[in-house]
Amino acid sequence: MTRVVRCPSCKVEVHFEGNPCRPFCSERCRLIDLGAWADERYRIPGAKLEDETEGEDDDPGEGSV
Amino acid sequence: MAQTTPPSHSDYRADKIKVLEGLEAVRKRPGMYIGDTAERGLHHLVYEVVDNSIDESLAGHCDQIEVIIHIDNSVTVVDNGRGIPVDIHPTEKKSAVEVVLTKLHAGGKFDKSSYKVSGGLHGVGLSVVNALSENLELEIKRDGKVYQQQYKRGAPQTGLKEVGKSKERGTRITFSPDSKIFETLEFSFDLLSQRLRELAFLNRGVRITIDDERHQKKHEFFYKGGITSFVEHLNRAKTPIHSKVIYLQGEREGTDTEIALQWNSSYSENIFSFANNINTIEGGTHLIGFKSALTRTINNYASEKGLLKKDDENLQGEDVREGLTAVISVKVQEPQFEGQTKTRLGNSNIKGIVETLINDRLASHLAEHPADAKKIVMKGVEAARVREATRKAKDLARRKGGLDSGFLPGKLADCQERDPSLSEIYLVEGDSAGGSAKQGRDRRNQAILPLKGKILNVEKARFDKMLSSQEIRLIITALGSGIKEDYDQGKLRYHTIIIMTDADVDGSHIRTLLLTFFYRQMFDLVEKGHLFIAQPPLYKVKRGKQERYLKDENSLEDYLIELGTENISVLSSSSRNRLAGPPLQGFIKKVLRWEKLMGIVTRKKKARVIIEALLLEEDFSEETLKHPKMLKKIQTQIASYINLLAPDQAPLSSVIEEDPEHNCYKLVCSTRTNGTGIQTIIDRNFLVTPEYREVKKLYSDLMGLGYPPYRVENGERQTRLRSLKELLEFIMEGGKKGQYIQRYKGLGEMNPTQLWETTMDPERRVLLQVRVEDAVEADGIFSTLMGDEVEPRRKFIEEYALTVKNLDI
Repeated sequence: MTRVVRCPSCKVEVHFEGNPCRPFCSERCRLIDLGAWADERYRIPGAKLEDETEGEDDDPGEGSV
Repeated sequence: MAQTTPPSHSDYRADKIKVLEGLEAVRKRPGMYIGDTAERGLHHLVYEVVDNSIDESLAGHCDQIEVIIHIDNSVTVVDNGRGIPVDIHPTEKKSAVEVVLTKLHAGGKFDKSSYKVSGGLHGVGLSVVNALSENLELEIKRDGKVYQQQYKRGAPQTGLKEVGKSKERGTRITFSPDSKIFETLEFSFDLLSQRLRELAFLNRGVRITIDDERHQKKHEFFYKGGITSFVEHLNRAKTPIHSKVIYLQGEREGTDTEIALQWNSSYSENIFSFANNINTIEGGTHLIGFKSALTRTINNYASEKGLLKKDDENLQGEDVREGLTAVISVKVQEPQFEGQTKTRLGNSNIKGIVETLINDRLASHLAEHPADAKKIVMKGVEAARVREATRKAKDLARRKGGLDSGFLPGKLADCQERDPSLSEIYLVEGDSAGGSAKQGRDRRNQAILPLKGKILNVEKARFDKMLSSQEIRLIITALGSGIKEDYDQGKLRYHTIIIMTDADVDGSHIRTLLLTFFYRQMFDLVEKGHLFIAQPPLYKVKRGKQERYLKDENSLEDYLIELGTENISVLSSSSRNRLAGPPLQGFIKKVLRWEKLMGIVTRKKKARVIIEALLLEEDFSEETLKHPKMLKKIQTQIASYINLLAPDQAPLSSVIEEDPEHNCYKLVCSTRTNGTGIQTIIDRNFLVTPEYREVKKLYSDLMGLGYPPYRVENGERQTRLRSLKELLEFIMEGGKKGQYIQRYKGLGEMNPTQLWETTMDPERRVLLQVRVEDAVEADGIFSTLMGDEVEPRRKFIEEYALTVKNLDI
């Protein structure tokens, strides 16, 4: 199965097939990524505190018959 | 060609014996002089002879050297230098050339006045070649005359004879390495070519040719650019990050120093150092001086120009040299070679000489080429960051905590099963859920690892989610297989790894983080299908003593419709069709979908009542917009619909306007709802939206039952409902009657039994297997999230829940 993705570190195109470093292009790029995990640099930004309340997903239909 | 008769001159004999004693030492211990008697030593013979010619060119007397490998593996070296002197040596009482060929440590290179600097292998010179050759034939053209002499294993077979006349000058030496000495006699064209090319680079302007008569191969090496060309040659298959090779040259204390350097986009360091043309493989003072001054100069420039950020430490030597190709060539008057192979320059003063050159010249070069300088510095900065990241990564991977399963993290509640193929591990978000999972699990084969996706309060404005390095280490240790290069499938302790997170935004963040980590650093585990996502229910519905868990919104709706349509049938006022049971359920599901779409339509500033009126006009289409007359009719129909069914929104005022962009017309309607005016534009753009198209199609399906109002019959009871919306509400309300509906916001809201029943019991749970595609997608989401803009990131994660394959286990 040929699959092409972007290297998570340097963004070059990477083929999965026969690539022991997949999904990275190289051992170096894999280590850069692992280093970022180790350094706790990957953070998913949360919601702003003021709009923390999640609106319920109801349908505001207009006045109808 | 060699003469066999021994020399007969009696006066000559005594001298010869003395000389031969010297050469006999060479024949006894050739390794001491040429390294070894294998391939390397054999080729050294050629280099020795060529070096002699190079010395002539260094002194400015020779610009052409030819090397010929003959079919019998004898070699000829010809140059156009001055020719070795032929006059009688004052102390040795024989021709100077014979002294050079028969006496160790003889030759012009030991006299600073004839050659300022000289290459050659530690000055042993031609005599060593002569001693180790079965035959050696010499021809010298000098002062209009041609001289010849022949030797056998170092011993002259004749005196030096004048054989003819010539206008040319130079030296020609042909020799056959002695089969009694050498293990191999086969010269390598490639090996010789490599060294000769090197010499041509190092000695700008000398043309060196090599001609292999055995295989009819030929090379010519000539480089006007000298070591600059050398660097270009070394970088030929690379991508330089600055276009011109940097060339620095200086002369001090009788030492001539040349340095050429250029950085390329690769990460390897490629530095060649030479002293007097000898490749100083073991380095030495010139290389030490180069490296230390280079690091200092680049760091100075970087901090002067403010190119280092606050967090960046100073660049280290290895950072600065990443991607560097450089050639350092020094010509020293009295070189001292040290080390195992005598290829390390020992002269201590050279370090300072090279340092000064770099400090002065490279610094000014950088100042004059700021754009190149910045690229060079940034390459070093990146290398430093990578070095730091690599250090942390290795630290993380190394401190696995002894890793042998004897040492498992305390937070892990392991299972009793030892066969990985039968063992499962739940990675559970949050300590309280982790606690419930520990109590609810089947401890025989289910292990629990609670994770606490660390929360970071960023400037008191928002909470960011992340996995702490501690937790990543926990995961690596618990799974036991190690990561990437150390990954060992055989050591994986669980073949089913289940991510269990809350069904909310934070939960999806933790899930994305985990999926991305597994995809990137434990890819095999994803590829082999070991990774799963648990599906905790979103709702619990309770009626009387009956409890039911529903995994999501859709399941809840289906369930409510099922209950709400029990014992009910629906009739339209306009037809005799009657719906009940499953067909009614299908019908209500369509109504639900239609209602949702109407919600989307009306959110885009359209009055619902007008859309409803339009839907009644079955023939209304894009075509209608082309005919003002037909539009007028539609206008009237809408007005009367509003008057009849929504008098509170009457009166309708509407106009037909031109839509020149589409060469047709549009209808602009104004209505009032609760005192707010709404302008609904019915134009081509609206009619082609997917939501309108689907609304229209669904509507005509729904009207298959007949037009409203509808009559609902439940045994004796009958209810009249005026619209689809009212019908839907009626059914859903009926479904909810007597039900207690609980929405789970987190796993922690379930008690251990509930968690077991809904999410962990292999008989009842639904697991989603993570495929590589899912992981690729998670990685894409993750990359977007790590991007610069905050809002798109947030939206993205909320909208894109992972799409994963359903898999019932």
